[in-house]
Amino acid sequence: MQTFASTAKSSSTTTASVLTIDGLILRRQQQDLLSLSATIRGGEILTIMGPSGSGKSTLLNWLTGMLPAGFSAEGQLHLNGQNITTTASHLRHIGLLYQDPLLFPHLSVAGNIGFAMPPSPKAQRQTAISEALTQVGLGGLEQRNPQSLSGGQQARVALLRVLLSQPKAILLDEPFSKLDSQLRQEIRQLVFDQIRQHQLPAIMVTHDQTDADAAQGQVISL
Amino acid sequence: MSTVARLFNPIVRISPFIMMALLVMPVMGGLIGVMLPAFGWIPALDQTSLSLNGFSQLWQTPGIGHMALLSIGTSFVSTFLAFLITILILASYFTSPWLGYIQRLLGPILVIPHAAAAIAIGFLITPSGMISRLVSPWLSGWNAPPDWLYPHDAMGLSIILGLTLKELPFLLLMALGVLAQPDLGQTLRAQHKVALSLGYCPITAFFKVVLPSLYPHLRLPILAVMAYASASVEIPLILGPNNPPTLAVAIMQWFHDVDLSLRIKASAGAILQIQLTLFVLACWWLLEGLVCQFAKSMLTNGRRDYGGAIIQKITHVITALMMTIIGLALVGMLLWSFAGFWHFPDTLPQQVVMLHWQTALQQMHTPLIDTVLIALCATALAISLTLLTLEAEQHSGKSLSLLGSVLIYLPLLIPSIAFLFGLVWLLEQVNSQHTFTNVVLAHLLFVLPYVFLSLASSYRRLDPRFSIVAASLGATKAKIFFRIKLPMLIGPIFIACALGLAISFSQYLPTLLTGGGRINTITTEAVALANGGSRRISAVYALMQMILPALGFLLAWLLPKMITKMLIKRHQQG
Repeated sequence: MQTFASTAKSSSTTTASVLTIDGLILRRQQQDLLSLSATIRGGEILTIMGPSGSGKSTLLNWLTGMLPAGFSAEGQLHLNGQNITTTASHLRHIGLLYQDPLLFPHLSVAGNIGFAMPPSPKAQRQTAISEALTQVGLGGLEQRNPQSLSGGQQARVALLRVLLSQPKAILLDEPFSKLDSQLRQEIRQLVFDQIRQHQLPAIMVTHDQTDADAAQGQVISL
Repeated sequence: MSTVARLFNPIVRISPFIMMALLVMPVMGGLIGVMLPAFGWIPALDQTSLSLNGFSQLWQTPGIGHMALLSIGTSFVSTFLAFLITILILASYFTSPWLGYIQRLLGPILVIPHAAAAIAIGFLITPSGMISRLVSPWLSGWNAPPDWLYPHDAMGLSIILGLTLKELPFLLLMALGVLAQPDLGQTLRAQHKVALSLGYCPITAFFKVVLPSLYPHLRLPILAVMAYASASVEIPLILGPNNPPTLAVAIMQWFHDVDLSLRIKASAGAILQIQLTLFVLACWWLLEGLVCQFAKSMLTNGRRDYGGAIIQKITHVITALMMTIIGLALVGMLLWSFAGFWHFPDTLPQQVVMLHWQTALQQMHTPLIDTVLIALCATALAISLTLLTLEAEQHSGKSLSLLGSVLIYLPLLIPSIAFLFGLVWLLEQVNSQHTFTNVVLAHLLFVLPYVFLSLASSYRRLDPRFSIVAASLGATKAKIFFRIKLPMLIGPIFIACALGLAISFSQYLPTLLTGGGRINTITTEAVALANGGSRRISAVYALMQMILPALGFLLAWLLPKMITKMLIKRHQQG
């Protein structure tokens, strides 16, 4: 499979991406929740495993800059050599993929992807969207309402939405846990292939061992 | 218990019909009672031929266009402002704990009666009010009250301020209620996060992602407050201009005129009022369509920031300003109620006296008792009918039809000025002499919808397995209702009671009209005092209007805990 948009290819292949977590200690009130240091290079997937309550989602919240009240953190986050520990969420360029596709119901399939793309002339955007949809087997569904799609189709659209926003890193929050087993394998393969092709550093949080095996990267158990 | 058990099922079965009849008959009868005189049919004046005289009289009234414009303008602008500020607050504090604080600060404003709110705002902006005192003389150089027309300005700016401050908490709490729905709220928050992770600044993310899904849930509350504002009487009466006033106020004055022939014009005015309300709603609908058309392509144009930082700063200022206005209005009113001699530019009165409270409390003895009695009767009726109707729903296994649910809210949807006069006429026709009963029934029209709205969801959500378990133990339906369901719903029932009392306390027009001047409540007295008489006494009445519902909610919060504790103790002993 090829990469989707030429713009995405150029931006991700020219720079060697790397995401570094440096001496992170997460606390709930005064209590230590987890400590972590890791370096993830472009195309690598770091898998974080652990039971619920072990601080997996708190870690993701810290990475996206949305740590809720009552939690505190120590340590630094670097993306491509830039310290983004205190950068506002929306300026971090870290894409998110949840277990729910969370497509915007008031926008069409094309609208959802267009929403994520950087501003550019309309015709150019539409071509890029159509190309990307065709490559994941969703050609011709541009104007469909996302709620009318199947679970697998929605997952693909959510993936395209993240990738075409040209993120510099990607976080996966149990991204396949709501898909049935066959679809799960298929979508997982698609997501991992795309992460490798775009050379994006990725962190995946999961409680499924098969996800961790398929990621073929470092695994940290909390 | 056995008689109760025997009578319970038939009573439950007929109660939905009684409830509908008590709501629909007065409204429909009232509308007919306004239609007939509007077209010239008033037997009392020996006029029984149909004509359009009322309408031609109406058109010839000097300033009629101005009245209509004032009604349209104030309701549209105030609703627009309240909506805009609601959205700005939501957008700016969507992920911040401040949203919760603002909710807690604004919540109590909801139960302040319109009349009391209007009086408080009037005190704030009047030439010798708190605002001019605070800036004098150091900033303004005024040593005497300035010569401005607020309140009662001809443009209706004071009305707009009053309506906006009353509508804002309602719309904001409605929006927060939608966001508190487990599925929808969580999804919207998650989608907001997705938009942030896609590089959207928080404000743009709110406007492009959350608002399109949130707005459909706000449309009905918006239209409801706008319909109310377009026909409301208390705020324009206290804060509005007199010559000409808004249409609703003018209609009220014509109906009350000693010249009975003006009733024809007033009835025609009531018909115009309904059309005017529909026109304002249509304007909003049109504006909404235009904005949607215009904004559609902007949603996916990829722009991530439209000056979010500046919008956020503006919102901070607006929110602070709102809070200050509300705070100052309340403090000002409290000061007036205790003020002895209060020289103009001074911020605080020279003396603090209890005199006004003593005088007012003596004066308000009868109105106070009437207020509480009427409210208790109307609320007790409303709670009983609501509970029995909801129980009937579970007996038949069918929830209320769409028509039924619309009918319940009928008295809130139709401008009350348009049917209350007809209702008074109707009551005269059926020779209903018992004023107290008339007032209670009129209050019920407005108390019942709110009580039903507040109780229905918790009653319907009660786990049906409790009843099934009780029934399998041999309990009758009556026993299940009284011994299982009601005790389990004690919290929501008391809250609904407090809400019902608060709604009844705040009624102005229904009390004034059906009471026929023989029954006065704190609210009718407060409005009467607001435009004349002593500002200090008026402050006491307005404060009393706030204290009563607050007491109700305090009791609704305390009593269920005490009763539950007592019941548990009795069971332990027994």
